[in-house]
Amino acid sequence: MDSFTFDHLDAIAYYALYAPINNAASIRQRIVAAATADGPEGDREREEMNFAFIDASLITSLLHLQTGIHQAILTDSQGALRTKTVHSEILWSLNPTNNITEAIRRYGISDSTKSLLVVHIAPKSQSAEDLKAKLQRIVDGTLVPASTLAGITDWAKVKKYYKLNNDPALTATKTDEEEQHAVIDNIVTSSVAMKSVTG
Amino acid sequence: MAISPTQRLIADSASVLQGAEAKVYKSSLGGVPVLIKHRFNKKYRHPILDGNLTKARVAGEARALIRCLRAGVSVPAIRMVDATEGVLGIEWIEGTSVRRLIPGAEPEDDEGHTSTEEEAMADYGVTIDEAMKLIGTELAKMHLADIIHGDLTTSNMMLRHPGRTGLPPRVYIIDFGLSYTSTLVEDKAVDLYVLERAFASTHPESESMFGSVLKSYEERMGKEWSAVKRRLEDVRMRGRKRSMVG
Repeated sequence: MDSFTFDHLDAIAYYALYAPINNAASIRQRIVAAATADGPEGDREREEMNFAFIDASLITSLLHLQTGIHQAILTDSQGALRTKTVHSEILWSLNPTNNITEAIRRYGISDSTKSLLVVHIAPKSQSAEDLKAKLQRIVDGTLVPASTLAGITDWAKVKKYYKLNNDPALTATKTDEEEQHAVIDNIVTSSVAMKSVTG
Repeated sequence: MAISPTQRLIADSASVLQGAEAKVYKSSLGGVPVLIKHRFNKKYRHPILDGNLTKARVAGEARALIRCLRAGVSVPAIRMVDATEGVLGIEWIEGTSVRRLIPGAEPEDDEGHTSTEEEAMADYGVTIDEAMKLIGTELAKMHLADIIHGDLTTSNMMLRHPGRTGLPPRVYIIDFGLSYTSTLVEDKAVDLYVLERAFASTHPESESMFGSVLKSYEERMGKEWSAVKRRLEDVRMRGRKRSMVG
C-alpha cells in the first residue's frame, strides 16, 4: 500500500490501485447500505467501508490524485468540508462541477468500474496493516503498482467531463497523443487544485 | 492560536522574493517542488476588506492561469489554493527570468534578489532572438484567448533551463496578479505597449528585441494583427492612458 504524506499536515493518505476488480457492484451496494444502516451495526459497517472508492479510469496521474487528496485534507483541517466526510470531499474535488451527487456518480465506484483506487485518510500515527486486512475483506481484485495508472486512464471521458475538446491547448496537440495527455493532465490537475475558488 | 497547516507550510519554506503585495517561497507538496505565493495580511487595511480582497485576488489569479492553460499559453500549472490564507501554490519552474538572461540589464532595485550569479542565454540553448520569438508566440496565444496580462515585463517571463530539466527550452509567462479578460483591441495594444516601455527602460538596444517579439506575435495573431498594430501606433503617440480632455 502506497501513501502520500505532507509535512504540514497531520494526516497521511494511504492508497491502493486494483485492476481489474471483480466485485464493483457488491462494493457499491455495501457503501449504499452502510450509509443508511442504523445503530451500532451501521457504525461498524461505516467504519469498515471508511475509504474513498475512486474510479481509476478518470485519474490522469498520481499528481492529480495527490492534489485532490491534499485539497480535501486542507479543507477538512479548516472545518470547511462541503461534503460529509474527507473521503467524499476527495470525490467532490475531482469533479469539475459543484454537484455532489454528480461527483459521486462519476468519480465514485459504479457497477461498471473496472479499475479502482482506494484511499484512506488517517492520522500519521496509524499504520497501514489493519487497512490491508480490511481491503482484503472488501475488494475482490488484483492489486497492481500505482505506476500502472498511466495505462488505465480513459482520456476521452476525462476530456468530456472537463469539456476540453474545443480548447486550443488540445487542438494544438492533436497530432501527438503523448503530448496531449500531458496537457490534459496539467489542466485537470490545476482545475482540482483551484476547485475551492471555481465558480 | 495554533497555526494553520498552510501557515506551517510557509514557515518551512525558503523565501525567494519579497514584493509589496505578496511574498514568494519555494516549498514542496508530497515531494513535488512548488512555488508558494503568499498574499500576506495588509495591516493598513480594514481586516474584513483585506480578507475579501486577498481572497478575490488569489481566486482571480488562479482563474487567469487555468484560462491560459486551456488556451495553450505556457504558464505554470496550479498546485494548491488556500484563498482564506491568501496562498496560491504553482508549479516550480526550473530556470531564470528573461530579464536576467539579457546582457546589460539595469540592476533590479525593486526586487529582493540576492543571487548575483551570471547566467547566459546560451546556457539555455537559445539565442536572444529565438527567446523573443517564443515570447511573441505566447503573448499572441494569450491575447487570442482574450486574456490581458496587465503587467508585462521581462521579469514576468521565465525561461526553463533545458539542461537541468531534460526538457526543451520554453518561455513561461508568470504573475497574473493584474490580469483580466477583455476582447478590446485597446487593452491588447496597451498590454504590448507596457512591455515595449519595459524593454526600453531595462535593456539597452531593445528595439530589435521588441521587434522580434512583435514579429512572431504578428505571425500568430493572423488577421487580428492589423487592428492591434494600428492601435499600438495610437497608444505610442499618446501613452498608456487615454486622454480625458474634451
